[in-house]
Amino acid sequence: MSNLEIQIGGMKWKNPVTVASGTFGYEYDELFDLSQLGALVTKTITLNPKKGNEPCRLAETRAGLLNSIGLQNPGVEEFITEKLIKYDKYKTNLVVSISGSTIDEFCQIADKLNPYDNIDAYEINISCPNVEKEGLAFGVEAEVVRELIAKLRATTDKDIIVKLTPNVTKIEEIARAAAESGADIISLINTVLGLAVDIETKASRIKNGIAGYSGPAIKPIALQNVFRVAQAVDIPIIGMGGICNTEDALEFLMVGASAVAMGTANFSNPLITLDIIKGLEMYLGKNNTNLREIIGSFKLQ
Amino acid sequence: MQFKILPIKENRKLNSRYFVLKVPDKSISAQSQPGQFCEIKDLESDEPLLPRPFSIYKVEENTISFLIKIVGETTRNLSQKKTAEMISILGPLGNGFKIPKNKSVLLISGGIGYAPFPFLKNKLQKNGNEIQWLHGGKDKYDIFSYDITNYTEDGSIGKKGLVTDDMPFILGKNDIHTVFACGPNQMLKKVSEICEFYKVELQVSMETIMACGMGVCCGCIIKYAENGEVIYKKACKDGPVFDGRKVVWDE
Ligand SMILES: Cc1cc2nc3c(=O)[nH]c(=O)nc-3n(C[C@H](O)[C@H](O)[C@H](O)COP(=O)(O)OP(=O)(O)OC[C@H]3O[C@@H](n4cnc5c(N)ncnc54)[C@H](O)[C@@H]3O)c2cc1C
Ligand SMILES: Cc1cc2nc3c(=O)[nH]c(=O)nc-3n(C[C@H](O)[C@H](O)[C@H](O)COP(=O)(O)O)c2cc1C
Ligand code: FES
Repeated sequence: MSNLEIQIGGMKWKNPVTVASGTFGYEYDELFDLSQLGALVTKTITLNPKKGNEPCRLAETRAGLLNSIGLQNPGVEEFITEKLIKYDKYKTNLVVSISGSTIDEFCQIADKLNPYDNIDAYEINISCPNVEKEGLAFGVEAEVVRELIAKLRATTDKDIIVKLTPNVTKIEEIARAAAESGADIISLINTVLGLAVDIETKASRIKNGIAGYSGPAIKPIALQNVFRVAQAVDIPIIGMGGICNTEDALEFLMVGASAVAMGTANFSNPLITLDIIKGLEMYLGKNNTNLREIIGSFKLQ
Repeated sequence: MQFKILPIKENRKLNSRYFVLKVPDKSISAQSQPGQFCEIKDLESDEPLLPRPFSIYKVEENTISFLIKIVGETTRNLSQKKTAEMISILGPLGNGFKIPKNKSVLLISGGIGYAPFPFLKNKLQKNGNEIQWLHGGKDKYDIFSYDITNYTEDGSIGKKGLVTDDMPFILGKNDIHTVFACGPNQMLKKVSEICEFYKVELQVSMETIMACGMGVCCGCIIKYAENGEVIYKKACKDGPVFDGRKVVWDE
């Protein structure tokens, strides 16, 4: 059996496979033992409860899915009392995704979650394109990212994962700002801005208008972003965006990701993460190689 | 809830609009309640990406079946599936209908809204309920059974008119405990207004676009009025069956 174990930030993962925030939860427990994953990532939590956007929130287009959920979540207090405990039984790393509308809000959430030892890392969602003020402003300006991550760094010893949006001009600058201000890991990409038009009503098929695009259609965009970020920073990367099978996962590892996450693919096949863990194991065995040799092995020329 | 890859046992075309897909199964059906649904994906093609929700139509010995209307890509692909071709099924999902005991109940279905009712009727009968069932469609191709009261808009079969036309009369004259309804939103809205007027309990099965089907993604929201406030419910987990008098019906 090939060894899939990785060291990523301060965490040890039994394999480099995890899930994308907002697409997975303990509900999948009925289908398989979630302890088999390298890590679990929660849906993004905010300080106060959020009702989310008006429906309709989903639209499928060729090879992709548009969503505008609007960060619907019960808020950090209810997350702690109702949800956190449900993750306790899984023998794997727990990453809690957080977002806020001010730097202070991010820090307040971290303060509330810091006492819980079963949380191994925070994923800082500075990239969610769905909510007007939240996220978007943070993820597109390097200086804001620098200040945010520095402040969060001062509040916590847990690993800090900064999740980047592809909807920027120079993703390297944002990645560098995150790494230099104390982030342990970078994850990317969040959804790509997108739109689908209902030609009968001449309106967006998503009630909120412009939405976030995910799924196989965004994989090439994600790959080139992961590649560029891997060239720019030395901290490890969790790659995601359209991964549907083992070959997709290998592409991300080759361009420099140390681990991979599946989002939209969970909806098509809820066991996709397990399939990819098995697939990676087989690939490494068959080619008599290891993860270290694979990660970053891609050369542009 | 289970995720299974199963071969088609039978694909029976009813007419140009509808077909019945039957797969061998014991375990999903053993857990199923009327009103619950499954997410089905055609494994032969990558597109569409997402599986689609379909109500459990019939649970028979060692099989589970779905009554499907051809409206788009998935349903067209599924209509052409041959015996032994594979599909994936995730289910049972959702809450299902609440079943009263020894009451008079009225079933109202419109078009493909017929799908969850044979299974429901079975369970209602087992619980000693007395059942009246009205079904409506555009024309004769929307009619599935002659054992119930049918309405068609063009009058090609049954009474000419809408399925809701005689509802006020029936609710006014009989002691109906619960109305069960499934069909297009305009029909459900009308049914809810009539039930509100006669103060009769109403359980409706709602349709929305879904992704995960199990309460994770928050994509499938239904607007619901509770304590004077509009709240969001997940159709896949809190529903698809809702108190029809509390659903907020958009234009
Ligand atoms: C709980 C539930 C139970 C259902 N039960 C049945 C059933 O028993 N039999 C059956 O034939 N259909 C049922 N449906 C509807 C079925 O899911 C849709 O017809 C199907 O998703 C269409 O897929 P498609 O790829 O063929 O069409 P698409 O190409 O995806 O869509 C074609 C058209 O249908 C609309 N549409 C797509 N999905 C839905 C949806 N979920 N609800 C309403 N409109 C939609 C689209 O906006 C578009 O106009 C149910 C839906 C839900 C939510
Ligand atoms: C329905 C849905 C909800 C999402 N919710 C979140 C979220 O709450 N926080 C977040 O950081 N990303 C969220 N995302 C983005 C995913 O985590 C991921 O970055 C993106 O979908 C790309 O990966 P994929 O193509 O594998 O889905 C969501 C995506 C989808 C499809
Ligand atoms: S379809 Fe994902 S929450 Fe209902």
